[in-house]
Amino acid sequence: MFGSLRLQRLPSAHPGIALAARAAAIFIALFVAGIAIAIAGMNPIELGGRVISASFGSAFGMEDLGVLVIPLILTGLAVAVGQQIGAWNIGAEGQFYAGAFAASAVGLFVPGPQWMILILMFIAGTVGGAVWILVPTLARAYANVNELITTLLLNFVATLLVYYVSTGPWRDRSGMANSATPPLSADVPYFWGIVHWGFPIAIGLAVVVALALSFSKWGYEVRLVGSNPSAAKYAGIPVRKHLITVMLLSGAIAGLAGMLEIAGTVHRLQGGISNNFGYLGIMVAVLARGSPLGVIFSGALMAFILNSGIILQTQGLTTSVVLAITGFILFLTAIGDELSYYRITREKA
Amino acid sequence: MNETENRFTPPSGTPPIVQLKGIAKYFPGVIANEDVDLEVMPGEIHALLGENGAGKSTLMNILTGIYQADKGEIIIDGYDREFATPLQAIAAGIGMVHQHFKLVQAFTVAENIHLGWDQTPKRASRQVLEARTAELAKKFNLETRPGATVSDLSTGEQQRVEILRVLARQARLLILDEPTAVLTPAEARELFRALREFVSGGNAVIFISHKLDEVMEISDRISILRGGRKIATRETSECNPHMLANLMVGREIVLADMRGRGPDAAPVSEKPILVLDKVSAADETGAPALEDISLQVHAGEILGIAGVAGNGQRELSQVLTGVRPVTSGQVFVDGKPMKGANAAAFAAFGIGHIPEDRLHSGLAPALSITTNAVMREYGKPPVSSGGVYNPRSALTLAKDIAAAADVAIPDFGMPVRNLSGGNQQRLVARREMRIADRVLVAAYPSRGLDVGAINTMLRYIVELRDAGAGIILISEELEELLNLSDRIAVLYEGKVMGVVENDNLDIEEIGLLMGGRTKAKEAA
Repeated sequence: MFGSLRLQRLPSAHPGIALAARAAAIFIALFVAGIAIAIAGMNPIELGGRVISASFGSAFGMEDLGVLVIPLILTGLAVAVGQQIGAWNIGAEGQFYAGAFAASAVGLFVPGPQWMILILMFIAGTVGGAVWILVPTLARAYANVNELITTLLLNFVATLLVYYVSTGPWRDRSGMANSATPPLSADVPYFWGIVHWGFPIAIGLAVVVALALSFSKWGYEVRLVGSNPSAAKYAGIPVRKHLITVMLLSGAIAGLAGMLEIAGTVHRLQGGISNNFGYLGIMVAVLARGSPLGVIFSGALMAFILNSGIILQTQGLTTSVVLAITGFILFLTAIGDELSYYRITREKA
Repeated sequence: MNETENRFTPPSGTPPIVQLKGIAKYFPGVIANEDVDLEVMPGEIHALLGENGAGKSTLMNILTGIYQADKGEIIIDGYDREFATPLQAIAAGIGMVHQHFKLVQAFTVAENIHLGWDQTPKRASRQVLEARTAELAKKFNLETRPGATVSDLSTGEQQRVEILRVLARQARLLILDEPTAVLTPAEARELFRALREFVSGGNAVIFISHKLDEVMEISDRISILRGGRKIATRETSECNPHMLANLMVGREIVLADMRGRGPDAAPVSEKPILVLDKVSAADETGAPALEDISLQVHAGEILGIAGVAGNGQRELSQVLTGVRPVTSGQVFVDGKPMKGANAAAFAAFGIGHIPEDRLHSGLAPALSITTNAVMREYGKPPVSSGGVYNPRSALTLAKDIAAAADVAIPDFGMPVRNLSGGNQQRLVARREMRIADRVLVAAYPSRGLDVGAINTMLRYIVELRDAGAGIILISEELEELLNLSDRIAVLYEGKVMGVVENDNLDIEEIGLLMGGRTKAKEAA
């Protein structure tokens, strides 16, 4: 007799098992994707080899990854920062657009020396992102309105606003492009190859946020509010004040991602500029389990997956297939994370 | 009492209603039960006595089919049985009333009785269900109001509905988990009478408790569990509370008057240290929870707050510690009016707070033990200086607190929810005592703790009183209040029914006040 098997939930997951569950999740996702690719009539192993050599085999490939990783770390950080205070900022996409929009306004219409314009764009980008999350923040802080819905809905507003200005009032009238603004007057300088200074800024910001959370009185209070608001209230911590500042910070970081994207990579404002970076940031934060340092690594993983997608598209796979694989990895990771809390025991029959 | 004379004596050779043989249940790293034998005869009330974590709940969960035993046999009426689900146990006539009721608050009594019951008529009007319920209530002599909504019922009434629900399903063995924890003394007496009647017909009751006096009063036999094993089964007539306490904890426990002061103890101050002047406050929904409360606490004194849970105790402790704003009236600390609710200011003023629901508001369960231990002192040196938080100093402080609380902690980085309830409570108590220079508000400090841990907790409180702090002790255990308090205030529906000196006081009077009655009213 085998007896009956029962699942038992443990109070905490063993880190080794959690890591193994993640590795297994990614492996299974790639394996299933490989089968799908094979059914579509292509050789998955050969494709995989091509992806790896194109990503890591040359400086160009590495530079592409470097450019992709900047917005992913920042939007991931924005979501992770929100999670620290117990808020789900699903609106990084909208804040990204709002930041890009505000920074473009400076870059298009404010005259002045490059360095000054850049500083103004930086300020405009972060303020733009923060303004975009302001209403959801106040609604949550004062009326307990779920930020999940409010931040999400504002994404559509920001996306359409950028479409409107870049194809309407701000469009390039030189006749070269009808769906974008003219080039901005200032660019973020290059750091390495085509990778701009947003790269060290993104990583530095993630490190600073992580340090602040672990080694400051403010960070202690934020962690307590995020983990148990009634305990924080009991300890005399101003729960509402922290909620508001941290949610605004989250929006500002997403806005900064938008500013760096237009001023460092695209150099003009156009519709669809976010490439879903705001939504992908949610995945990055979830993969990092809400850890600000973790988003550097999960951001890099996500950049690799996206870059692979671009390479695969040149090999004839569609964007939808690539997105499906990405979603599948996240889906299985979430299951793996949950399963790492369980162990199987055998019951007497 | 003549209950023993009416006692049902089964004919000789009758098998026990329930017999457990060699029951064992293992959880990862824990032996919940091992080698437990238990026999429950028809007509008896069998008490199951044990500290927290002694394995009482696990054993009952096995008997009611919630868990399956790893070893051992369950024999019902002489036949070997296996319960894979609670439904099978119910079908075999075993019913349990849990400590936390499992009633649908928005449904009527009749609907709750008929919910999930195969005897419920397929098509039945409200009237039919209520008539059936009234009939059942009459049959089992449990007074209920079939048409009333459960949320409108008192705790005692809700418990009767739970019991009726179990009995309606033809239970012959009724298991009650800490049934008197939520009852007033009068309600408890009523329950005991109903239980006596139930067993007089040849049924049986398993009565789980850690209150020695009530076990002595109600049971015919007592089984004591300790560390997952059964230590002994005794005839109640051969027991006394002292010996049961010894069997239960394996060591001598003294339940005694702790009001006496040593020569070094701080005297009770002339002026009160904390004053509530006509304070009213509202609960979360905005409904009035406290009305015109006026109380005074002196330094070096313990003021007990008696009352059935849910009569404003929670709001009172929050007002006293600045967590909840007052709607009218004033709070004075050391003669100084405290303006506005500001928990940080109250804490900085030397007011500590052991909250009633430690996991919900006293701790952040998912965060580390260190983080939780420094919750009161994270903002000042050595833990923080100039806004910089020093995790190493925090760890040192956490270790100090754990050492004072006598809690052995292997890893200060693990979530605090991994600690047992008793250890969590000791950490919270020690954390609060460190800041409670002037006042300590202790709400249900011994709730959910075993006898040993309760004694430690009460010793802490006495220690702080002797150091010259004013203490407000909110409790539902009268014995605890009588042992510790210098004065006792009784709270009922948000009002202070009376404040009595704890000298030769009449327990019956406290009981009446707790039930919202004054002596004069009772006489009238």
